Amino acid sequence: MILFYLTIPAFIIFFVSFFEIDKAKKILPYSSFLVLLPIIYLFLVDKPYNLIGDYMIATKLNTYVLLVSSIVAIGVILSLITLDKRVKISKKGYIQFYRFFATFWLGLTVSILSNNMGIYWIGLELATLSTVYMIKTNLSKRSISEAWNYMIVGTIAISLVLFGIILIYASAKPVLAEDAMNFQLLLENIKYIKSKTLFEIGFLMVSLGMFIKMGFFPMSLWLANIERASYYPIAALFSGILESAILVGFFNFSSLAMKINPSGVFAFVFIYAFLTLFIITFLLFKAKDFIRLFSLSGIEHMVIITLFWVSGAHFAALLHFGAHAFLKPALFLSSGILEFKKKYNFAGTLKGFGGFYGNLFYYLVGFLILAVISLPPSPMFFSEIYGISAIFSIALKSKYMLLVLTFVLLFLFLLSIIFYKFIQVYQSMKYEGEEVEKVVYVNEILSICIFALATLSLLSPLAFNYLKGIYE
Amino acid sequence: MMINFSIGIFLATLIVSILSTRLLKLIFWYGVNSFFLGLLAIFIGFKQGDSVLIFSGVITLIFKAFTIPYYLKKFAIKFNLKRDVESDVKVHFNVMLIPVLIVFSFYLVSPFAHTVGQNSNYVAISISSLFLSLLLLIEHISVAPKIVGFLLMENSLFLLGITATGGMPMLIELGVFFDLMMAIVVINLLLKEERAI
Repeated sequence: MILFYLTIPAFIIFFVSFFEIDKAKKILPYSSFLVLLPIIYLFLVDKPYNLIGDYMIATKLNTYVLLVSSIVAIGVILSLITLDKRVKISKKGYIQFYRFFATFWLGLTVSILSNNMGIYWIGLELATLSTVYMIKTNLSKRSISEAWNYMIVGTIAISLVLFGIILIYASAKPVLAEDAMNFQLLLENIKYIKSKTLFEIGFLMVSLGMFIKMGFFPMSLWLANIERASYYPIAALFSGILESAILVGFFNFSSLAMKINPSGVFAFVFIYAFLTLFIITFLLFKAKDFIRLFSLSGIEHMVIITLFWVSGAHFAALLHFGAHAFLKPALFLSSGILEFKKKYNFAGTLKGFGGFYGNLFYYLVGFLILAVISLPPSPMFFSEIYGISAIFSIALKSKYMLLVLTFVLLFLFLLSIIFYKFIQVYQSMKYEGEEVEKVVYVNEILSICIFALATLSLLSPLAFNYLKGIYE
Repeated sequence: MMINFSIGIFLATLIVSILSTRLLKLIFWYGVNSFFLGLLAIFIGFKQGDSVLIFSGVITLIFKAFTIPYYLKKFAIKFNLKRDVESDVKVHFNVMLIPVLIVFSFYLVSPFAHTVGQNSNYVAISISSLFLSLLLLIEHISVAPKIVGFLLMENSLFLLGITATGGMPMLIELGVFFDLMMAIVVINLLLKEERAI
């Protein structure tokens, strides 16, 4: 029943999209708030809480991820009200955007709550296919070509994930029979698996698929290109919801793999993360528009989250994850406003905002940009302190202490280049270029306010205690 | 005997698909590939007494061997897709690449061959099919052969599911079929919009 309540807002959007969307789109943000009621209930009940047998369950981890992704969905729905004032979109395109957004949301809710690898994959695939059409709503040749790109690369990534799942299932089936797909049972019985190599190859394939989907090395630019070619709320959905579902899958799969070969998993993710960050830093330094800048920075943050997770700094990873999931969609939605007059330009984009909403937007964008580069009191500042110290403690116990420490220092050096780039862009936005008058709509400012408040709420003792309690 | 025959034809049709230069032929070979995949699932299902696998085989025959190729052919005519689908990789390179990928798959399976028992050769063929369909997907620039490559990749994963695990749970099989249908709907919509522009 709870699952039904959780999916009601998505179903409402889906059905409303068959009727007059112009009037209904103003009601949809209110109906989307309904999703918070069952989530609050899930926070209050004892966990794990079975939603559909043991196929779908609410754990402390996925309830948190569900809350984060639902807040992102609410914020995006709110900003969609004035999408037609920001971009050129046909009425049919608008309707279909809502319809596929509902399918996307539904798919990812299923993925996040699934306790079964197969169901997790089905939800993710459903969301991937819906995204293809959302990219396509922007009627341009480039967006069509990027939609096909997404279809092909997304399919390769998701097929690798399925390939890995089949191998993991094959390795665990002699022990658990058909329950070998159940995450929790597998975690409890992982030590009885005889074919560890088969499991490890499976995990490797799953990770590669997920890394491709998150834009890790060597597929670092495809995501940024797709986000550039599509309407800006799609980038917000990617960073806030799709990547949340992929990360929750990575958390589950890597928790299994860490029980078998923790040092192997750490080494694999560490090398992969370093290579990705190395490439991303240079691409980000050359970025000439907001969407690419934020998209590449999103990959940087996912690198950090995965690295913290496999280092055992679960609290840091989850705090960073929450902050990333709120800050990035807010920045992508802001970029729709900042780029309204001219794309591929940073200079003076923060000038020309007048009135109460304009001034509020000016300060909020400043807050978001400074928070995303981990300036205190951003939650990212604390997560990075905790996470880096966890990696240091691993290095101190390791045989390869000097090697790990050297890589950590290089890592910090690359992060400082990204920090410099963001400061440079922020200064250019504020002090360079010409002043052109710009408008901010109420719904847009409300949406960004939700994200800013949600980010700040991560610093509350309640949030800290909950996140610490997830893996205690 | 019939299992060996079906899996052999499955691999053979996949190799022919890679070497095909005409779109409708490619779709035809996809249909044949799916047909033998369906038969394979039915044979293994009967051998193991697994009704779920027999059901999956029947669905594969209906949808993948007949319905999807029929609609793909219809889309090709309706949207006037380019029929000449020569790959970017030259045939003589393909002829060398295909056996290399197959041999590499057998090498890849060797560390865990003992855990899948008698099926280790089938698993190796499934993995090589996956690599071959990936090759088909990346060696073409035009969209239509990429779609067929994606569908063949899905067939290879289904084959891997049958051979490595003795069949996936029914719920998952149905979910994968549902996603495949959704993919066809999205492909249709994309082609329609592409024509509109």
